Amino acid sequence: MSIELKKALYNISALADLGQEITSEDNFTVKIQSVLHVIMGTFVVNRGAILWYEKTKDEITFIAKRGFEDASPACWETGQIMSLEKNEPRAVSGDSVLAGAGVAILIPLWVRDEFIGAVVLGDKFSAEAYSPEDLELLKVIAHQTAITINNHALFMGLSEKLEENRKLYEEMRRIYHDTLQAFAAAIDAKDVYTKNHSHRVARYSVAIARELGWNEHDVEGIYVAGFLHDVGKLVISNELLNKRKPFTSDELHEMKRHSLLSYKIISNIRFPWKDVENIIRHHHERLDGNGYPDALTREDLSDGVKILTLADSFDAMTTERAYREKMDIRTALVELRSCLDTQFDNKIMLAFCKVLEKEIKGELPEPNILPHLDRNFELSHITALLEGLIQELSQ
Amino acid sequence: MKSTAFNVASKCQGDAAVVYPRGYLNNIAGESLVSECHNVIGQGAKKIVLNFRETDFINSIGVSLLLNIIEDLNNIGGTLCFAEMSKIHRDTFEMLGLTKYILVFNDENEALQYLSTETS
Repeated sequence: MSIELKKALYNISALADLGQEITSEDNFTVKIQSVLHVIMGTFVVNRGAILWYEKTKDEITFIAKRGFEDASPACWETGQIMSLEKNEPRAVSGDSVLAGAGVAILIPLWVRDEFIGAVVLGDKFSAEAYSPEDLELLKVIAHQTAITINNHALFMGLSEKLEENRKLYEEMRRIYHDTLQAFAAAIDAKDVYTKNHSHRVARYSVAIARELGWNEHDVEGIYVAGFLHDVGKLVISNELLNKRKPFTSDELHEMKRHSLLSYKIISNIRFPWKDVENIIRHHHERLDGNGYPDALTREDLSDGVKILTLADSFDAMTTERAYREKMDIRTALVELRSCLDTQFDNKIMLAFCKVLEKEIKGELPEPNILPHLDRNFELSHITALLEGLIQELSQ
Repeated sequence: MKSTAFNVASKCQGDAAVVYPRGYLNNIAGESLVSECHNVIGQGAKKIVLNFRETDFINSIGVSLLLNIIEDLNNIGGTLCFAEMSKIHRDTFEMLGLTKYILVFNDENEALQYLSTETS
């Protein structure tokens, strides 16, 4: 086999090496270092570098190099490099700065009309001159290298935009939640007896939903529903909300309007979570069909409704109201137990008991229920009750 | 071409070091070979035998890495021997003009024997 043929075969295999490296799944630093090795191994040079043009700074910097440790590309005339023919290798013997830095060949890298950077090579190890065939091959390799760097730059640009959007989304989300809390505070402030009620119901609902294995998107939905479930009370008069004596039939009818009013207010908002408005509308429904406003039964009620119903009732039981004293936690649990199958769902009750037990045992890093319960109550008094309920409901 | 995991071993033999690249010398993992040679040079060895018994494949990246080693030894006036290299790789190195800078031997003992007669 002639030496020319051997050289041609070696060059073809070098192009294959280049193809493998630029399509590899390696990170960009490894990829571009490998590309430089391919170039240096192909032309048998011991000095070589790939440079990237940083548009915002209008300067070129090394992204891979060997043998140019002392070179400072910031001193190189970027404009002059850009004025050279696109992707065409050329000897730089006439340029004292580049030649002084040890550059023998320079290829300005372009993709369409975008200046990407450059590849620079020193003399061949053998000190032979670059042949016309070498320069042709170098042109092909340089073009591929330019595309690789450009793709990376595009990807990085997209990643930066994505990160900016993510931060913006987080910021909007925070503002959204702050607004929700302000709204909830406005609702709760109307009734002196229900201070922080919406906040607690949201927290209890989150705890139950997580225990049921809901994904975080849906958990956020039930959290929002918890915050806004009583928004309709903004329309009910303060006198009625804070009335100490039992309601008349008309007053009771007026009070019951709040869930439908909440639904009407909330329906105007396009939430990213499904069913929030319906969960709010039905949070006073019962499994036995004796709830309001639509007298739905078990089969018609979603888990979201069942969660919010139980969370709302538990908080109502364990906090003081205008017309009654608050229950202790044990009594509230017994009360919930007595209303299973008529008001509350077994599965939801089981999840509530389990998560409460986990929080008492300190198994959850961020408890949602315990921080809101009566601090004077000895929690060990309900451990056995919870165990019994869990055992009973698990059967 | 799928690479096999590349690793390097070495041993000292008198004033020479024998370095064993194992696996395909076709990606950046081969830089460990350059590092190993750099280490043995740092320990005083000026004569290195690279035994390619367990290296079935060397591509352009491998050539670039070997060029680094050749240059490192050239800079200190050392001697680099290649041993047990396949014919195809030997032909490639010859075609690239690199055999001017290295000594090629059929086996490691032959290379070590030659180096033992060479004046340090």
